[in-house]
Amino acid sequence: MRRDVFQAIADPTRREIINLIAHKSLNVNTVTERFEVSRTAVYKHIKILTECGLIMMKQQGRERFCEARLEKLHEVSDWVEQYKALWNSRFDRLDSYLNELQAKPKNKSHVRKKRNR
Amino acid sequence: MSGKNETDSQSAVREIVITRIFKAPVKMVWKAWTEPEHLKKWWGPRDFTSPFSKIDFRVGGKYLHSMRGPDGQEYWSTGTYTEIVPMKKIACTDNFSDKDGNVLSAADIGMPGDNWPKELQVTITFEDLGGKTKITLRHVGIPEGVMTEMTNAGWNQSLDKLEASLTSIH
Repeated sequence: MRRDVFQAIADPTRREIINLIAHKSLNVNTVTERFEVSRTAVYKHIKILTECGLIMMKQQGRERFCEARLEKLHEVSDWVEQYKALWNSRFDRLDSYLNELQAKPKNKSHVRKKRNR
Repeated sequence: MSGKNETDSQSAVREIVITRIFKAPVKMVWKAWTEPEHLKKWWGPRDFTSPFSKIDFRVGGKYLHSMRGPDGQEYWSTGTYTEIVPMKKIACTDNFSDKDGNVLSAADIGMPGDNWPKELQVTITFEDLGGKTKITLRHVGIPEGVMTEMTNAGWNQSLDKLEASLTSIH
């Protein structure tokens, strides 16, 4: 199954894990201790985050550390920017089209009035 | 965690919401949104055209629209209507597709970044302002709370930019 960054951040526990290690890498045990859910559950989240490329596991001596890879999150912000730009541009077009539509009947009635005179 | 409630209460505010007020009655804006002949006139953003639009406007019905870029490349999108409240609300899914309406991933059509969500859920609400119409487009594909928590963590420049853009939407 292909994982993406949106899926990674969809879960509140996973978001908390990222917050936790955003500024400082932590060893796996320290991460699991911070949560009330089972160790296994936290491991599972860490695994998903690793698969999505948001966490990198690093072996240091006998300990394994979780390091945040925040570059991946650019993809989310880039996406939001693109999405907004697309809709704002469409709305500009819709705006002028609606103006056009409304201008038409007015013109006709204007012409008719003139003819009646 | 102690900050959780705070984050939850903020999350609703930080959805991707785009609003615009149009100087046209609801009936006309609704029509522009639901009839292919009208939709084709504006669906293509700046410098794009929209040569094709098919709309089966009922809950469970599908649409298929195209946008053609200045370089001639055509982008297709499809989706299913999930809720229709006449003159008030349209909810639908939104996917990239081929010209036959087969769903594609963003990477398949060469969009930058391979992490676009596969399916977006979009709701469009129409608000009658007496001769004017307020459109609110809400993107419900990105999980609630995500934006807030990402920016709370005080991360990189890109996220600061995101924060700024999210608060400046009107």
